[in-house]
Amino acid sequence: MFESLDDPVDVLTSFVDGAMRPLRFRWQGRVVPISKVTGQWNRREGQSVMRYFAVQGPNQETYELCFDPRGPRWILNRAWSGPG
Amino acid sequence: MILLVDMDAFFASVEQAYHPHLRGKAVIVCGDPSRRGVVTAASYEARPFGVRAGMPTAEAKRLCPDAEFVEGSPRKYVEKSLELLELFLTYTPDVEPFSVDEAFLDLGKLGARGATREAAIAMAREIQQRITDEHGLSASIGIGPNKLIAKMASGVNKPRGLTPLDEEEFRRLFWPMDVQELWGVGPKMSEHLKRMGIATVGDLGRAAESQLEQSFGLIGPHLRNAAWGRDQTPVIPYHEGVDPKSMGHEVTLPEDCREDAFLEGTLLRLSDQVARRLRGDGFVSRTLTLKLRDFRFRTITRQRALTVAVDDHLAIFEVVRSLWRANWKGEPLRLLGVSAGALEHKGEGEQGELFSTDDRKKTLQAALDQVRDKLGEASVVPAGSLMHRGTSGHVPFGAMKRKDPGSLSREARKEPGKP
Repeated sequence: MFESLDDPVDVLTSFVDGAMRPLRFRWQGRVVPISKVTGQWNRREGQSVMRYFAVQGPNQETYELCFDPRGPRWILNRAWSGPG
Repeated sequence: MILLVDMDAFFASVEQAYHPHLRGKAVIVCGDPSRRGVVTAASYEARPFGVRAGMPTAEAKRLCPDAEFVEGSPRKYVEKSLELLELFLTYTPDVEPFSVDEAFLDLGKLGARGATREAAIAMAREIQQRITDEHGLSASIGIGPNKLIAKMASGVNKPRGLTPLDEEEFRRLFWPMDVQELWGVGPKMSEHLKRMGIATVGDLGRAAESQLEQSFGLIGPHLRNAAWGRDQTPVIPYHEGVDPKSMGHEVTLPEDCREDAFLEGTLLRLSDQVARRLRGDGFVSRTLTLKLRDFRFRTITRQRALTVAVDDHLAIFEVVRSLWRANWKGEPLRLLGVSAGALEHKGEGEQGELFSTDDRKKTLQAALDQVRDKLGEASVVPAGSLMHRGTSGHVPFGAMKRKDPGSLSREARKEPGKP
């Protein structure tokens, strides 16, 4: 099931040709390398654009990260914690 | 020829595309799964269990306990919908988004490339393939000589269906079916038609036009034409735009509720959301509708036409509250909704007041809108809309987590309307 977290996380991020891409993040004392960005979308909060990324970890587990430019800061919104 | 591209189980499929571990599993998209609400969408894997959109989440959990319940993200689906629109526009400029997961494509101006049934089928196949390859999603496509047939054909074979129909094939397929299968015929109209002895689409096609006109007025003859598969409605391209007919918001309450202050606060919040959308898109409304659903799932809607068009939350709230007070009998409520209809562009037909007494109010409203445009919806809200129980879910837009609702001032509690 998906677990709602809203945990602040440190994310190593690349900016290439104007495109932003999370590469790995530190969560609960471990580093999770991102093997694939599976989806991307934005949401406006006033003038700020929150950038969301659905990403896959090394064991096919998935997460949703959000970049909030008002911090700027990264938030881990959701993580899939296994079946049921 | 016209295509209707209908995305299969769209919200659930987007979740499956974005979260590969969900692929092949029963996925149910809903509100916060830990709270009460309704199913927004169910993947095809969940449907054999009887799970349908609109059903209470608790019932879906009972029917399909092993499903993945995923909280929906409207922005995610809207953005995907816009990406799909871009794909459709590579085939024809005449694309009419019909809903977040459906679009009409008019191939009429493409000459030989879109004129024949074979050409339309080939194009539809290519579109289906690109939707799968580029977005990891699937769509069913209906093909017809008009919007009505394309729309009804799209539902014939799902998921991943491709159904071309001409008028004759349409009649052969749909005439034996229940009249409610016809696009535009809802449950109430269907009941009415059945009382007239019209049970199938074919019965409707054979009915006397005068009889239909007598019962349904101007739309009577349109209904009969629709039963014959005839429809003149043009595809209105995306770039020309279509004004919305109404704007509304509704909320399923976390638990059945009969507390005055809580319900009024919720109505104020909904009125505020509707007013913000009206002003944001430059509309005013002349008809307001209140929707109530009680703990027995009985739904009533009550409407009031206004002599003066409105777009501010207090004016909307006052009308909605008076409708509520006149119609609520004290039974526990499950759902509240507010919607604004009979929309007009702001400024259109407005009677200017020679000596306006509410200029200050308008200036204040504009200033508050600017604050929210800049800082977000939760930055300024009517105080009365915070008069809820101590759960953060009741805070407008869910953006501000307040753990201590008792910290609201006494004044705020007394004056629900004040921003």
